[in-house]
Amino acid sequence: MTASRVQFSGEQLAEVRRLQALYPDRRGALLPVLHMAQDAFGWVSLDVEEYVAELFDLSPAHVHEVVTFYTLYFRQPKGRHVVAVCHNLSCHLAGAKTILGHLKTRLGVEVGATTPDGRVTLLAVECLCACERAPMMQVDDRYELDLTPEKVDRILEGLR
Amino acid sequence: MTGERILMRNFDRPDSHTLAAYRATGGYAAWAKAQGMEPAAITEEVKASNLRGLGGAGFPTGTKWSFIPKGHTGPVYLVINADEGEPGTFKDRYLLERDPHALLEGMLIAARAIRAATGFVYIRGEYVEPWRRFDAAVREAYDAGYLGKGFDVVVHRGAGAYICGEETGLISSLEGKKGWPKVKPPFPAIKGAFGMPTIVNNVETISHVPHIIDRGGAWFAALGTRTQGGTRMFSVSGRVARPGVYEASVAITLRQLIDDLAGGVTGNGRLKGVVPGGSSAPILRADEIDVTMDVDGLRNAGTMAGSAGVVVMDETVSIPEALLVVARFYAHESCGQCTPCRESTGWIYKMVRRIVEGRGRKEDLDTILDVARRGAGTTICAFYDGAVGPYLSYIEKFRDEFEALIAK
Amino acid sequence: MPRLTINGKEVEVPAGTNLIEAARRVGVEVPHYCYHPGLSIAGQCRLCMVDIEKTPRPTIACNTQAVDGMVVWTETDRVKETRRSVMEFHLINHPLDCPVCDQAGECWLQIYYMKHGLYDPRMTDEKVHKPKAVPLGPHVILDAERCILCSRCVRFCDEITKTGELGIFHRGDHSEIGLFPGRELANPYSANVVDICPVGALTDRDFRFQVRVWYLDATKSICPGCARGCNIEVHTNRRRPHHAEGRRVARLKPRYNADVNRWWICDAGRYGYGAVDDKTRLRAPSRREGEAVADATWEEAIAAVAGTLGRLRPDELGVIASPRMANEDLFALRRVLERRGIRRVGCRVPPREPGDEDDILIRADKNPNARGAALLGLDGDAAAVLAAARARQVKCLWVFDHDLLASGWPEASVEQALRAVETLIFTGPNANATSERAHWVLPSAAWVEREGTYTNFEGRVQRFRQALEPLGQALPAWDLLGRVLVALGAPAAPPRAERWFGELAAAVPAFAGLSYRSIGDAGQAAATGPA
Repeated sequence: MTASRVQFSGEQLAEVRRLQALYPDRRGALLPVLHMAQDAFGWVSLDVEEYVAELFDLSPAHVHEVVTFYTLYFRQPKGRHVVAVCHNLSCHLAGAKTILGHLKTRLGVEVGATTPDGRVTLLAVECLCACERAPMMQVDDRYELDLTPEKVDRILEGLR
Repeated sequence: MTGERILMRNFDRPDSHTLAAYRATGGYAAWAKAQGMEPAAITEEVKASNLRGLGGAGFPTGTKWSFIPKGHTGPVYLVINADEGEPGTFKDRYLLERDPHALLEGMLIAARAIRAATGFVYIRGEYVEPWRRFDAAVREAYDAGYLGKGFDVVVHRGAGAYICGEETGLISSLEGKKGWPKVKPPFPAIKGAFGMPTIVNNVETISHVPHIIDRGGAWFAALGTRTQGGTRMFSVSGRVARPGVYEASVAITLRQLIDDLAGGVTGNGRLKGVVPGGSSAPILRADEIDVTMDVDGLRNAGTMAGSAGVVVMDETVSIPEALLVVARFYAHESCGQCTPCRESTGWIYKMVRRIVEGRGRKEDLDTILDVARRGAGTTICAFYDGAVGPYLSYIEKFRDEFEALIAK
Repeated sequence: MPRLTINGKEVEVPAGTNLIEAARRVGVEVPHYCYHPGLSIAGQCRLCMVDIEKTPRPTIACNTQAVDGMVVWTETDRVKETRRSVMEFHLINHPLDCPVCDQAGECWLQIYYMKHGLYDPRMTDEKVHKPKAVPLGPHVILDAERCILCSRCVRFCDEITKTGELGIFHRGDHSEIGLFPGRELANPYSANVVDICPVGALTDRDFRFQVRVWYLDATKSICPGCARGCNIEVHTNRRRPHHAEGRRVARLKPRYNADVNRWWICDAGRYGYGAVDDKTRLRAPSRREGEAVADATWEEAIAAVAGTLGRLRPDELGVIASPRMANEDLFALRRVLERRGIRRVGCRVPPREPGDEDDILIRADKNPNARGAALLGLDGDAAAVLAAARARQVKCLWVFDHDLLASGWPEASVEQALRAVETLIFTGPNANATSERAHWVLPSAAWVEREGTYTNFEGRVQRFRQALEPLGQALPAWDLLGRVLVALGAPAAPPRAERWFGELAAAVPAFAGLSYRSIGDAGQAAATGPA
């Protein structure tokens, strides 16, 4: 009933099977396949969860348990870029609050929200383990280190 | 005191992550040597080295390996914990990015010792660049024939959960489930990943193994203290002049680490407190830093070596605000499985927040202390005990700061 | 077999026994929430802590196996203190809404708080809010704020029904039990999660707000819903009948039987008691002449039936007995048949739809006593009796329980047979299309209104007890059959079900040596093998 919209390509399905074969029990590939699904479909909707559950012959409730447990699966559409500011101890000591406040002002959104133009989703996250270069944030795949409000502005300018 | 850099010896080379560079500096020679050794002999060498787990628990590595049941004939798994997430720690990120082949060589040797044919490397999901570097190294190692001949490596990415750094939480996650730690017994060495005997070791721990095989357990043991061999990588952050990762003997003192290696305290220049082993380690006051950084040295000082993440706070830092950050973290990361942890991490966070926001009551501090003490030691895994460390130590050692907020 | 000491008492237990079960054997209760003997070990409620000598701190009993020489103490000061702490953690985010909670009175939060808690509450911050009054399926409703996240319900759906509907979502103190959005908890055993929920998180939609549990009486019984014969308790509301609008049976609950149903029953059985109090109940004997139906006294009815049975030749008499009748009823019927030499007897009537079946409990045969009927020699195919009726060989047909017009037989052929007989007698607790055609209706008591035994598909003879008085003038079938027997000239009939069973046991080899006492609460196997 959901398969019409949510469907991996043949190539992607082959990758699913390859990943599943890497583990003694194919369920081991659930997290990697959810990452794949998020890349392919933009976020992990309930339809995606049901689709992935079918690929693993799991109950959708068990996939939902996994998706809601981890922070990296987006359960709502996210912006074209995700800006995740660390607010744990070392970044706190280095002024993460200022950075986060600056981002909220610049983007005009609260933590957890996406800018109306769909450009950026702003998150506050726990330690990303780059404390030596605090304050820091992750922008999509990249770590941005030694942040200052000015540096944040330059980074934001690069996000389209 | 800093002595020879072992793990970080190649970090300054721009191509340190490549197989060519690794081999050029003697890489994979230890593996060649280990292939001529009996598995039990490898374990004995590691036992002799006094290598202890560097992820947080500090358990003797060789002893852990020896728990694999002798008569077991099915698969055995080696799992590498690269789910670095202990606040204040960043050493494994460096190892994955700058010397991935050291980990792979260590894995080959460890796998031989425990007779594992498969190794899983669980890398935290946020570590994209470290994963790319390590994954590239795995491909190089396959191409060069190190892997794929009796030992395969699967690189597995996490999805954002601190608890997956706990070894059985990691196993649950590797199995495609929520990262709920497992009740013990059975211990992973008996029944671990996918129901098979499993050894879970930290990145840094295993990266030491080639050197131990190459130069001998006795050499490694001599680098450290009586009960812990070797060097380790200290992640130093917070209010210091030169935050960064420093490799030193585990016998270094916290004062040396802060003053000599990290360039001393910044802020107002006067130390207030230090977290010596990641956020779960009880905080030390300025007068408690003449302590060696080995597992037993810090345990005797009432704290723990943990992951060797050192977070320095000068006098201008508000301890209640720091505790609020820490308490929020534990409330956010509690997996929710065991009642005492699930319920009290949230409760304590609310109480600390109230105090910091100026709505504290005089009984709050004793309630937090009592709740934390009552929950300690009652849960499946060590997560909650790790939260109790800061709850108790921040309040007990800096009570006046909390009381000042409540009195307002 | 490890031998260990618990609170100073020595006990020997089978290898693999955990400390909760070992303690039970010496009468020591270790409080617990997540542990359930029918499910895997979760170890997450942290309440079942005990002290084991030479162990540095209290240990959970559920995940600790008894070991030879182990010395266990369940009531040390630190164990009691740990329990009190864990109780506080269980309750800080609980809404404490006992006055409006169905679980009140049988809630393990209440019980353990009174026994092991009794601390002064000190949680003053805003509690975590979660979904309330969420219907999960046809039978179960969830209050996530009351949930202590013991995961029993999740494990039940994973391990027993293997349907996996439930999960624990999110983490930390926002963790909550739930379904995948849009799905239902509708497996055939769904309401067992209500039974195993130790708190008021999962309650029974059918039972919800009906009656306080402390007004209920419990009676040991057997589910009549299929040939499994699941052991149950019948919970009846006799003390507050005005709260139930005439509904006397408040609910059925599974009763543990290791060899039959363990801790579970199916939903069909659990909610299958509706006929007991519904409008179709036959309350008094009645006679129909043409379209006119009039109540009759038992004396009139028995005299008329016995008169007909006595007047006609045996081969003009046909009986369709029922595998829903108890062994006692069937034996009383057998006495009547023997007395009149009646040979046209059948019992098996094909259902219109084949019964569902699974590999858990549910049997395709929806009758509780088909095996008993067979052991009593009354399991013949009723088709022959009906064929004889159609051929006008049968002048009087006595039908028990069945609605032949709703059976698997073509309705027209049943119709033809019913029209062909001069006298149709019906006995059963509820009216149906067949009873409406009967000239005489002799109402029998429902199974909860009497005692008796059923023999399940495996040949296990199991007792059910009387929970309620028969409705109206209904009589247990063995009683009305006994009266017919006496009216046919027998000197006397046994006055109680137990006596009927004694005669049965003396007469039928398969039941030899069995008695109500020997059957007890757990049942006893009949000698069903080749004689």
